[in-house]
Amino acid sequence: MTDQLRYELSKALTAAAIILYIPANFLPVMTITITGQVESLTVMGGVVELYDTGLVPVAAVVFLASVVVPVVKLVSLSWLLNLHGSDISQLRRMKVHAFLTRIGTWAMVDLFLLSILVAVGQLGILASVQSEVGALFFAAMIICTLYAADVYKTHMIWQQPLPKSQ
Amino acid sequence: MIAAWAFAMSALITLIPANLNPILIFSVAGNYQANLIITGVKGLWMQGFQPLGAIVFFSAILAPVFYLLSVSYVSACWTLQMRLPLMGAAFRLTEALEPWNLLPVFAIACMVSVVKLRTLGTVSWEPGSLWILATAVLTMLAIQFFDRKCAELYVEGAK
Repeated sequence: MTDQLRYELSKALTAAAIILYIPANFLPVMTITITGQVESLTVMGGVVELYDTGLVPVAAVVFLASVVVPVVKLVSLSWLLNLHGSDISQLRRMKVHAFLTRIGTWAMVDLFLLSILVAVGQLGILASVQSEVGALFFAAMIICTLYAADVYKTHMIWQQPLPKSQ
Repeated sequence: MIAAWAFAMSALITLIPANLNPILIFSVAGNYQANLIITGVKGLWMQGFQPLGAIVFFSAILAPVFYLLSVSYVSACWTLQMRLPLMGAAFRLTEALEPWNLLPVFAIACMVSVVKLRTLGTVSWEPGSLWILATAVLTMLAIQFFDRKCAELYVEGAK
């Protein structure tokens, strides 16, 4: 894969992730039924519910992993790609890129959480957990950002601007 | 690199009980449900969310196994100074799978789910969760000690 193609692909994936971000956060991720009470939760709804039940540290972990991390990733990816080919703050961009690949996977916590909840929620009317469409969008969004950060290699930050072709 | 080999091998061993033991048991009003990693995959698949099931299966079961296998293979080659076949392929596999090895993230999700389920019913920890935690810690240590620059130079020198 050429560097130009990598750059284009990374841009396309970031754009796709930004679009997917909207349904991922507004559609419910799961529906929990516990002893007759039905409840649909979005990603943010899950955090709020944890917070309301007094589980502040856990709510903070989930909030960081599934709300803050995706936003930080999308913003910094756009910033990196926007400055591609220029020589502005290259060192800082390299650090940001390294940080991105480090934190990227943490957004998957929400998906694994859903998988565990779905597994235990098979007690019929007593307790059931049904996954919803929002989870699909959320997973697609996370995978787009993961792949976008992975396909944009560190050395590309240091490339000289390409001469304009006629 | 010797340390990376040791940690990757021990992570591979702990991966077996981690996948075969239930993580937690959840019960409401006398009915209970045990939960393995694979149960969640099956659940998502049955509910019609096959892509989600596939992602969880890949990143929590397949990727850790292949990542640890290739890390231990490459670091074993380096430690023993032996040029074994498929060394280059194994190294490229470690590079490709690194972002997909999500077992440590799964361990965190286990913690969160126990806390969350505690508000809904009775939850009890099962040995599987400890094995997952052990595997996650060992995997992170293996990554820490795996010198990818050194491995890359060694593998390329083999050509």
